[in-house]
Amino acid sequence: MSLPSSFPSATHPTATGGILHALRVKAWSPYAAGILIGLLQVPAFLLIETALGASSSYVTVGGLLASLVDPMAGRIDYVAKHIALTPKNWWQVALVVGIALGAFASMRISGARRHAISPVWQRALGTSSPVMRYALAFGAGFLMLFGARIADGCTSGHGLSGMAQMAVSSTLAVTFMFVGGIATALLVLRRI
Amino acid sequence: MSLLQAILIGLVMGAVFGFTLEKSRVFEPGMIVGQMQFRNFIMLKVFLTAVATGAVVIAALHGFGLVKLGPKATFYAADVIGGLMLGAGIALAGACPGTVLAQVGVGYRDAIFTLLGGLAGAAVFGYAEPALKPLLFASGPGKITFMDLTGLSYPVLALGLAVVLVGVLVALEVWRPWRTDLGRDVDGDLGPTR
Repeated sequence: MSLPSSFPSATHPTATGGILHALRVKAWSPYAAGILIGLLQVPAFLLIETALGASSSYVTVGGLLASLVDPMAGRIDYVAKHIALTPKNWWQVALVVGIALGAFASMRISGARRHAISPVWQRALGTSSPVMRYALAFGAGFLMLFGARIADGCTSGHGLSGMAQMAVSSTLAVTFMFVGGIATALLVLRRI
Repeated sequence: MSLLQAILIGLVMGAVFGFTLEKSRVFEPGMIVGQMQFRNFIMLKVFLTAVATGAVVIAALHGFGLVKLGPKATFYAADVIGGLMLGAGIALAGACPGTVLAQVGVGYRDAIFTLLGGLAGAAVFGYAEPALKPLLFASGPGKITFMDLTGLSYPVLALGLAVVLVGVLVALEVWRPWRTDLGRDVDGDLGPTR
């Protein structure tokens, strides 16, 4: 019996070949991805002296834009604190910009191109109207960030970082985040 | 740490974060809405694995005296109300504040509106914060942790949490292998509900 000609190279992949393959596949195991995300806490703590987070960057950018239009906004303590040119504030803005760049790179390398709107929305909303989806997305983004700022954190700051640090606030906020998310998905959206 | 260094580190860390979010598929609306409707469990798997890993590495850094913890202050009403609003927003956006940027990166057009809505929500909160402060952030127990509540040390609780989460993840994976949740186009779309 003859073996396929590719057999030897398939059984003896080089390290570089393995890495290239990992970069090209469309999906990683959630465990490998979760470990990598958890390991990002190391540079966050050691280099920036903070934990992973995303939602305060919206105050930095949104507050800065508001203060350009309305100088009074920049005089509110909360806004002033977030738009100040501190390493922590702008590290987080750079982090979320980097998320978009990294996701774009991964999509281009694997070829996992997306439609303009995920096909699940047609079933979840009962309409294929892009305008309806865009309007809902804007409202959802507003609610998401207004809520995250009330709770002082989001899925990253409270979820990944606060729970890992055994904070009571984070455990409470994440519990109610899932309660709100599950209730909304079951009562407001249709089953996808 | 200069501002420029912090920005460069943020870009590199964000790129790794975004690349990983895309590969994990957790940024997909089908994964987020699917998780909240109990059809799909990839979001919970990525999330709990990242929490467990974070707990282990932060406990190690803490054990070597390299870092100090920064738990956020507890304000009961704010954590509950804010958490509920955040969760409702996540379900309707099909994204969370971090993953919406991954959606923008891969070309989901509705994510641009989620992002703009988020910036508006954060700016409006900035205006509202002085008025909300006496209502939501006036009194609370402070930056309390489960170490304060139990009297146990951080490494014990963090490693204990990681062990429990690994147990939960093993059970989840045995019950429902992750590949079955990827969906038609690695987007968590498992087809119409039967």
